[in-house]
Parts: sequence; structure tokens; C-alpha cells
Amino acid sequence: MTNPRLAELTHYEALDVERAATPEALQKAYEHGLAVYDEAGVATYSLLDADQRRAARKRIEEAYRVLSDPALRAAYDAELTLRRTAAVTVDAAGRPRPVKLPDPVTGADLKRFRESRGVTLARIAADSKVGKRTFEDIEGDRFDRLPAVVYVRGFLREYARAVGLDPGATVESFVARLPRRSP
Amino acid sequence: MSNALPALVPRAARRQMWSVGGGKGGIGKSVITAALGWQLARLGKRVVLVDADLGGANLHTCLGVPAPQRSLADFVMRRVERIEDVAVETNFPRLRLISGAADLLTAANIKHQQKVRLLSRLRTIDADIILLDLGAGTSFNILDFFLISDVALLVIVPEPTSVENGYRFIKSALFRRLRSVCEDTEAREILDFAMDPSNLRGIRTPVELMSAVENECPAALPPLQAALAAFQPRFVVNQVRGPADAAIGPQLVTACARHLGIRAGHAGFVYHDDAVWQAVRQRRLFAAEDPEGRAAENTRQIARGLLQGEPMAFDW
Repeated sequence: MTNPRLAELTHYEALDVERAATPEALQKAYEHGLAVYDEAGVATYSLLDADQRRAARKRIEEAYRVLSDPALRAAYDAELTLRRTAAVTVDAAGRPRPVKLPDPVTGADLKRFRESRGVTLARIAADSKVGKRTFEDIEGDRFDRLPAVVYVRGFLREYARAVGLDPGATVESFVARLPRRSP
Repeated sequence: MSNALPALVPRAARRQMWSVGGGKGGIGKSVITAALGWQLARLGKRVVLVDADLGGANLHTCLGVPAPQRSLADFVMRRVERIEDVAVETNFPRLRLISGAADLLTAANIKHQQKVRLLSRLRTIDADIILLDLGAGTSFNILDFFLISDVALLVIVPEPTSVENGYRFIKSALFRRLRSVCEDTEAREILDFAMDPSNLRGIRTPVELMSAVENECPAALPPLQAALAAFQPRFVVNQVRGPADAAIGPQLVTACARHLGIRAGHAGFVYHDDAVWQAVRQRRLFAAEDPEGRAAENTRQIARGLLQGEPMAFDW
């Protein structure tokens, strides 16, 4: 996980801005993001290879393209909200079965749901190779012990898959509550 | 800018240890430490600068102080009992200096017990802030001084080599810290493995390390997680020549969070100014020579920002 998948971030996270970010803040964040992964820059030169940096810049370009256009941004916001509220589980026959988890979802909500499905944390940890403690921290809402959001997304995705929640919706709903740790 | 400083005394009673490190030599650590100490003293703090660059001390030169007769080596070698006895006054109010200038070679090879005594006694110095100038490199001694600091500053310059060294410094310091809090034998093995950057298990970052520990010996994890969360080095970007350079600090913070899982901070930047080097050549403190100069103003902002615990204004 040296290179957390930027593709999994929302546009807002890719640019490291708030949902309510002004056009000025967006512009600033966009320039910052491009500079972090700049080909000739120093920030990620020794951390990522040229391809990884190019992919990161592309991700940031895309995020900015959408968010800097009021119409595209409104549509994207609607999509995000939908993603978060449409948590889905799958029944025995493999058909999607919507489950209404509160949004934003808390660690306690997740725990309750997991227990209702009879899935143990040890099992998730073993399957995902992530480790139990992180999932306990997620369920306990111990944000201060969780790593950067890009990593948390990955953990949540594994968790959601294991208990039968829609990974995308669960991730969006949970990370919406994480305190921002911008520079 | 106003000289009224209302909010600067919240934790005055508490002694703080600050340190200035950087993986590479010749990037201005001593110059910045001297200026920062002077600015803190000007802001009303009682400051003791400690030249902990045991192998190549030169902080006194940056301060315009002749090489002191007494040095840290006298304390380490027990020629004096109290660490305060090796502190000398400078020409500036509230600013004292403990030099590392004598007995270079022996001191650089300071023994473990000597180091432990030094580390513990530094905090007994009667001052508000004890500010350490660390040497170049990532030797255990340097990392240990860095790690015990309340405020750990990492100087880099806007060059790929310096940044690479900076990241290496951060990773080395963190792994050393993790190892010191880790009592589980199995987890220690994983840590030792991870310290080798080309390890076969592919552990490259602290987050990968945490995952490995979690999977194999979860009971060992909580102290490691606490240590990771508490590890918050702060960048100072020196020799900034333009807006693009000035923007590097926040970029490093983003890169650290995303790709190393480390919550670094940005303390500020210092403008490249020929007057700084001229002052050093004349063995004068540049900030005191020209307090209104841009580089001096930068160090003042850094000092204020760190005292107030507030984010810096990054406007160029």
C-alpha cells in the first residue's frame, strides 16, 4: 500500500478540500495537488515513480475538471449523496437488498450490522490481511488512531465487503465523519 | 506587524525541548537554530541553545560568540557536574548557549549511558525552551535527540537530494521510536526487518509495517500506533528562492500523510538571502544584524507560529 489508490478517493479527497470548498479554495488545492506530484517537483520524487506520479496528476485533473464546473459539481454531489445513502447488501440468492444504515454511518452502526450478520473481526482481519485492531478502531470511532484517509478507505472497503455492505456507500458514509487533517 | 504578543504565555511554566535536524549537512540547520533561538528570546522566552552537533559544532559562530571554554563535552565527560555550568551567556538577553565545540571526536562517539544522562539532564535546565541543533545524518544519537523533543523541526532545502534525505531521516527516526516502545519479540523482528529499505517482505512505509504487526502479533500494536500518532515532525524549508519553493513545505506534508502515513507539519520557510551568508562569514547573527530583513522576518514567523501552535500563513 505504498501508493494508496488515488482512484478510490472522492474528487474532494483527491484535492484534499471540504465539500463546501469555494472556487478559490479549489483552485489553490488543485495547484497544490499538481505540484505534489509534479514531474520536476521534489515532494514525491523519491516516493513514487514517474508513472505513479502521472496517474496521480491525472486523478487530480479529473477531480478539478468536475468540481470547477458548477453543473458537473452539482451532479457529482448528488451522486455522492446517493452513494452514501444507498447502502446495499446481498441476499442469499445474490440479489441486492437495500439496508438502511444511518448516514453518516458510525463505527457503532457498523459493529451492530456486522454482529447481526454473524461476522467476527478476526475473520475479516484474516481475510483482508489488515489486522483486527484497525477494525476495532473503526468500530470504536477512534479516529486519532487511524492512519490517513486514503488508507482508511481501503480498510473500510475490505470491511464492507466482508459483512456484505456496499463498499462504496460504506466508505463514503464513514469517511465523511473523519476529521480533516490537511497541511 | 505589531509587537504586542498577548497569547504567547499559555504554557510558560512548562519547559520545552525543541530540536532542529535534517538529513543533510550544509543546509543551514545551525543558522536557522541560532535565528530561531534569538527570535524566541525576543518574544520573551528564556532560551538555551544547545549545540548537539557533537561532531561538528558551530552554533557559536552563527551567534557571533567566541568558541566557549566550556562545552557539552565537559558535562558528558563529567568534568562538570551540572549541565547548567556549561551554559554561557550570549550578547542577547534571555539567550544562552551550550556549546558542543570541544573534544569533537570523543563526543561524537558518546556512550549509551552518557547519552541517557545527557538526555535526561537537558530537561532540567532552567529555561522556557531548550533548543537543540542536531548534526547531519541519521545516527542513533541524532535520532534520539530528535525523538525526545516536544517540537521536532526538520530542515530541508528545495532540492531532490535534501528532500530524499529528509524522508529517510523521518523514517529512520520513526522506526527507532517504534522499536524503543516495542517489547514484543516477534514485533521487534518485523521492525528490524522493516528498517532495511530493500527488505523482501516489501514493507516500505509505516502503514505497511503496522499492517504486518497487526496480522502477526496484534497484541504488540497499541503502543506502536500511539507512537506513530504522536510522531509529528515539522518541516522548515530553507533557502527558498521563489513562490514555487515556498510551496514545498505543504507539499511535503501532503506526501507524508498520503504515502508514508505520517502526520508531519509545516513550520514555515526561510527566504534565501545573501545577507545571511555574509553575516555568517563575519560571525554575526544575521537576524540580529537586520531584523527587518526577509529571512529574519521568516524566522520570526516560524517562532511565533510554533509558540502559538497555529498553522503558518504561507503567503509568499
